[in-house]
Amino acid sequence: MLELKQIHVQFGDKQVLKDISITFQPGEIVGLVAPNGTGKSTLMNVIMNYLTPSQGKVILNNELQYSNKTNEVKIHQDVSMMPDQSDLYNHVSGKNHLKIYQAMWNSDPKLIDDTIVQLGMESYVKKKTGTYSLGMRQRLCFAMQIVSNTQVMLMDEVMNGLDPTHVELISQILLQKKSEGKTIIIASHLLENLEQYADRIFFMKNGELKLVDEMATGFNEEKVTTIRVSNFSQEHLEAFKKQFTELEVKMLPNGKTLIDVSEHKIALLGHITQYLISQGLFDFSFGTVTLNDLYSMEYQQK
Amino acid sequence: MWNYFKWELKQFFTNKKNIAVYLILLFLAVYFALKVAPSYEPIEKVDVAEMEARYETRDEFNKGVGGIKNKHTEVVYALSIFLQWNNYDKARIEAIREKDYLKYAKATAKWYKYSDQYIVKSKELFYNPLYYTYNNSFGHADGHYGYGYTSSRFTGYVEGESKLSIELFEERTALQTLQRLLNSYLPVVLFISCILFSVDIVLKDRRYPSLLKGFPMADWEKLWMKGLVAFLGSMVAVIPLCVGFIIIGIQSGFGDFSLPVPIYSYLEGTFTNMTMGTFILQSTLFISVWLLFFIAIILFLSLIVKTEFINLFVSFIVIAAEWLYFVRGMGTYTDIERFPTSYVQVGQIISGYKNFIYESWHLTYQNGLIIVGSCTILMMILTLIVSQSKRFKLID
Repeated sequence: MLELKQIHVQFGDKQVLKDISITFQPGEIVGLVAPNGTGKSTLMNVIMNYLTPSQGKVILNNELQYSNKTNEVKIHQDVSMMPDQSDLYNHVSGKNHLKIYQAMWNSDPKLIDDTIVQLGMESYVKKKTGTYSLGMRQRLCFAMQIVSNTQVMLMDEVMNGLDPTHVELISQILLQKKSEGKTIIIASHLLENLEQYADRIFFMKNGELKLVDEMATGFNEEKVTTIRVSNFSQEHLEAFKKQFTELEVKMLPNGKTLIDVSEHKIALLGHITQYLISQGLFDFSFGTVTLNDLYSMEYQQK
Repeated sequence: MWNYFKWELKQFFTNKKNIAVYLILLFLAVYFALKVAPSYEPIEKVDVAEMEARYETRDEFNKGVGGIKNKHTEVVYALSIFLQWNNYDKARIEAIREKDYLKYAKATAKWYKYSDQYIVKSKELFYNPLYYTYNNSFGHADGHYGYGYTSSRFTGYVEGESKLSIELFEERTALQTLQRLLNSYLPVVLFISCILFSVDIVLKDRRYPSLLKGFPMADWEKLWMKGLVAFLGSMVAVIPLCVGFIIIGIQSGFGDFSLPVPIYSYLEGTFTNMTMGTFILQSTLFISVWLLFFIAIILFLSLIVKTEFINLFVSFIVIAAEWLYFVRGMGTYTDIERFPTSYVQVGQIISGYKNFIYESWHLTYQNGLIIVGSCTILMMILTLIVSQSKRFKLID
C-alpha cells in the first residue's frame, strides 16, 4: 500500500501539487488524467523521491518513508517508475536492458523471456535499441518495468507511440499485473483505453486530484444516463430546449452535445429519438458520460 | 551490487571515449616501440671508438710527458690518474673485442667509479659532455649522478646472473625501457588515461536519468562500484602498452627481473641496487595508489560540482602542480615532501632521483605512499559522507 500525505509542491509562485492525500491499494490500477504540464509527472517524481516536496510524506506499507537514503533504497526495491524511451542506451540491446532491470531488482529471470514473448519482442530484442522505432522502444520500457516486478509501478504515458494492437496487449498485461496484486499508477492521454482497466481515475487540476466518479453523475453506472449527439448546432439547442424544457443539455468543445436523461423515464428516450431524427440528427448514442466528455468539460471548456 | 558492477563494467568497455583512449595508447606504444625506442641514444653508451680515442690520447700523453723530469704539478697529477684510467679503458676495449661482457662490466663499473672519484671535485676534468647541455647549470652534478648510477648498474651486472649484452649495457631491453619510462612520463600517461576514463563515470548517467535513477541501490554502493570499474579499466590500459613492450622485447631482448636498478641515497650520496622486479612491483603499487587517488577525487567532484570540466581541471592541476613550483634544490628550504603532487613522478621517487634534484632526503617511496594513500582515504571518506547526504544526488 502506498500512501501520500498532504503532498505540496511549489515552483516559484506556482503551486503544482496542493496538499494531495491519497492511498493506493494493492491490486488497483489508478489513472491520472490531465493536460501536459499540470503535475502528473511531478506527482510521480515525488512518489519516487526524485523531487522533494515542500511538504508532505510518501509512506509505503505504513512504515517506510523517504527519511534517509537507506529508506529510499528500500522503497525503490518495491516502487519503480517506467523509464523514458529517450533514456535507453542506443548501443545496448533490448535484452540487456531487460537483464539489468531483472538483476537490479533481483526478480525471477524467467520474467525476461516471458515478457519478451508476451509483448511480441522476440524478433528485435537482441538488436541494439538505437535501431528501434518509437513503438518498439516504448514496449521495451514497459517490459523493463514488468521485469522489475515491483509492488508499485508508476507509468507515465505508457501507451505513447503504440499501435492499437499493442495498446490492447499492454492493457491485458496491466490487468494481469493487477490480478497479481500490483498497484499500478498510470498517467495517460488515451482516455477510452484508460477507462477499460482503471479502477479509479483522477483528473489533476490546479494542483489537486479530482476523482472522476465524483465529478459526473452516472459515470461508471450500468444504465443510460446520457444521450451523446454529434453536429448539434446552437439553433438545434434552442429548439431542443423549447421542446424538452426539463432536460439539461451541455454542448462540449469536442463537438459533442450531452443530454442528461439520468433522472427521467425510459419512455422519454423514444420521444427524444423521434425528435432528433426529425431534426435530421442521426449521429447520436445512448449511454453514460465518457472520460473524453469529462476531459472536454474539465479542460477544454472556456 | 555485483550486477551493477557488471553493468558498469560493460558500459565502461563499450564507451567510445574509453575505446579511443585505449586505441591512442596502443598507437603510442607501437610508435614508441618502432620509432622512439630504437633511436634511443644513452649518454653512457658502449662506444668503442670513443674509448679508443680517449685511451690513445691519454696513452700518447703518458708516453710524451713521461720522460720529462721537471713536470708541472698538473701534468704530474694527470699522469698519476691517467695510467689507471687507461688500464680500465684498455680492459673495456679488449672485453668488447673479445665479447667478454662480464669482463667489460667489471672494467666499466670500476671505470665509472674511478672517473667520478676524480671528476666530481675537479675543475679541470669533466664528465661526458652530453651532461653539459645548453641552459643546464647542473651539468656537473648530473654527471656525478649519471656516473654513480652507471657504476652501480655495472656492479649489479657483475654481481648478478643476468645474461649480459650490449643492449643490456645500454638499457635498451624491454624491462629496462619500462624502467626508464617509469622514471619519466609513463606514470603521467597512465594518470591522464585514468582521468579520461573516470571523468564521466558518474556524470554519464545524466544522459539516462529515468533508466538509472530508480535502481534500488545506495549512492555510495554505486560510487564504490564505479570507482572499482574505473580502477580496473585504468589497469587494463597496461594491455595496449604491453604491445609496445613485446615489440621492444623482440627487437632488443626482454631483460629479466633480477636486473639491477640503481637507487640513490641522498644522505649517503651513493647508489645501491634494487632488482628490476622489486622496482616494477613498487612502481605498480605506487601507481595504483595514485590511480585510486585520482578516481576518488573525480567521484567526489562528480557528486558536488557535477561538471566534467572541473573533474578534468582539478585532476590535471594535481598532475601539473609540481611543474609550477619545481625549482631544483628547493627541498633544502621548502617542505616539498608534504605536497602529494611532489610524488607524481613515481619512478623518480623510487629511484631516489627526486631526492637528488630536490636536495631533500624526505621524498621517499614510503612517505609517498603514506601521503598519497592518506589523501586517497580522506577523499574516499569525504565522498562517502557526501553521498549519504540527501542534498547530493548522483543524478538530479
